[in-house]
Amino acid sequence: MTRGKPRVHVMDRISAWLARGVIAFLYVPIVAVVVLSFNASDVTYRWTGFSTKWYAELAGDTDLLATLLTSVEVAVLAATLATVCGLLAAMGLNRLRSRFRGVFMAGLFLPLVVPEIVLGVALLSIFGALHVGLGMGTLVLGHLVVTLPYAALIVFGAYGSLDPSLGEAAADLGCRGWTAFRKVTFPLLRQALAAAWLLSFTISFGNIVMSTFTNGVGSTTLPLRVYSLLKGGLTPEINALGTLLVLFTFLIIVCVGVRQMRQVLTGGNRSPQ
Amino acid sequence: MRRSILATAVAATFLLATGCGASGSDSSSGGSSGGGTLHVYAWAGEIPDSVVKGFEQETGIKVTLDTFDSNETMTAKLSTGASGYDVVEPSQYSVQQLIGQQLIEPLDHSRIQGLDNLAEKFRNPSYDPGLKYSVPWIWGTTGLAYTDACVKEPVTSWKILFDQKYKGKVYMLDNMLASYIAALQVTGSRATTTDEAQIARATDALLAQKPVLAGYNSTNYAQLLSTGQACATQAWSGTSMAKAVQSDSNVHYVLPEEGGSIWTDGLAIAKGAKNVDAAYAFINYLLRPEVAAKATDDGASASANEKAREHIKNTDALKNAAVYAPDESIAKADFLLDPGPAIRHFQQGWTKVRAS
Repeated sequence: MTRGKPRVHVMDRISAWLARGVIAFLYVPIVAVVVLSFNASDVTYRWTGFSTKWYAELAGDTDLLATLLTSVEVAVLAATLATVCGLLAAMGLNRLRSRFRGVFMAGLFLPLVVPEIVLGVALLSIFGALHVGLGMGTLVLGHLVVTLPYAALIVFGAYGSLDPSLGEAAADLGCRGWTAFRKVTFPLLRQALAAAWLLSFTISFGNIVMSTFTNGVGSTTLPLRVYSLLKGGLTPEINALGTLLVLFTFLIIVCVGVRQMRQVLTGGNRSPQ
Repeated sequence: MRRSILATAVAATFLLATGCGASGSDSSSGGSSGGGTLHVYAWAGEIPDSVVKGFEQETGIKVTLDTFDSNETMTAKLSTGASGYDVVEPSQYSVQQLIGQQLIEPLDHSRIQGLDNLAEKFRNPSYDPGLKYSVPWIWGTTGLAYTDACVKEPVTSWKILFDQKYKGKVYMLDNMLASYIAALQVTGSRATTTDEAQIARATDALLAQKPVLAGYNSTNYAQLLSTGQACATQAWSGTSMAKAVQSDSNVHYVLPEEGGSIWTDGLAIAKGAKNVDAAYAFINYLLRPEVAAKATDDGASASANEKAREHIKNTDALKNAAVYAPDESIAKADFLLDPGPAIRHFQQGWTKVRAS
């Protein structure tokens, strides 16, 4: 015991410091973004004094805000489509008991392993060959390709863990088809669907590779805009926008987190009423 | 001549896509077009918001402005044949490529007023003789930047980027053609050469330079200079360099005595443009001296419009070499041209350099 104890102690300290290092590595850049958004200087790398002028600048920058709106629209559409498609795929493939099931599953998850840039090139070539005008539609389709596997993974997991006897019990009680889905399956899957939607939203919102290939008239997204601004040098205005996004994300996490925390504290009662 | 991580992949795409889509001028465009809308596709930040708003107010034509990060991205979109854009803003070598691929329309000079407002050097440029396809909008240079904090000698030549004395403190632009400007000129060739032996000599110079370099960088080199992490860098003129020069009296931007190079981004009408009338109206509006002056006042770029100078309120920019390089310094600067088939020699050499 006396010999073992100090060694454990050292290991504990090492892992504690390692954890601190990792957390610092993850959060220092975010803190830096927030701090530098209040920089009076024209350049992001030199601090010259406190100012909120970049927030005013941001509020008046209709170009940048238009790209933010585009990004949100695309992310909402792509996330909703991905979640619905993921749910339908889970329901359909779960019933399918043939050897094609594996083929369909592989097809669904293939975009996870194919480099995104290849998918982007392929889509652009197809759109070109079919003379499909590039724009919001093609952008959402492109993002759907990227987000669907993630949404499907989450929904598949949740759907697979449902007790099949629940459906039978519902049928016993006279609840079939749409009503059973609405009253039994959907409430049970609600959290998984929300998770799938949020993950898809996040992936779509930050996407740059697929957007490069599939955007068109009137659909420049925020990441594309920021990326193309790099050439001219970024101003703290981008930091101000970043800060607001961090704040917004933080609020969502707090809302979702508080709800889940309450559920945990009240005994994890997640069954439908 | 500008950097893009995705450039190579995008370039590959348009090769693929041109096979199927180059003739799609009659296809339907994405989004609403025609009528009173004009779809513009330009470099980010180069056509200021004030210009777009002014045009909309005066003409009642609604403008959508999308931005790209490299000529290659823009070309890839046009080559689908259904991009839906009316006006695009290619750089000079890209104008040559777009002409070759028939992705932009020849301009009808009878519908354009104000070409004689342009500065002499942009009226009959080597990349588009007689401005048959494009109207220069802004211009800039590829040169050298250094800081007095570290460099104690006069800087007049690319040679400083090859100097052992500054080992680990110099950067080159992370861009194939830009790097070759320095390497070709320092070995006594012109930046526009397509001669295999001269390119090979330049490749050797780049290979020999590599141990001296701290790295290749085309994003935050101005920051590295200003914070003392670099002594000298190859640099593009423009907003970030101009800011560094203006905010730090130690930082300077010069064109090397070997010449450096000059680039320009101009306006062209995309093949199959739906709203050609509005496109000409837009080009004419941007050719007005008082509008062109906004490229400098609101966009911090150098305007190709000579008559705009008297309308520019930001006179600091006129004196800032990282915006308006002095006339005598650009006398020897060539427009970087599309190397055509010789691009192969550059690519092979560059691969060797980056892999070494």
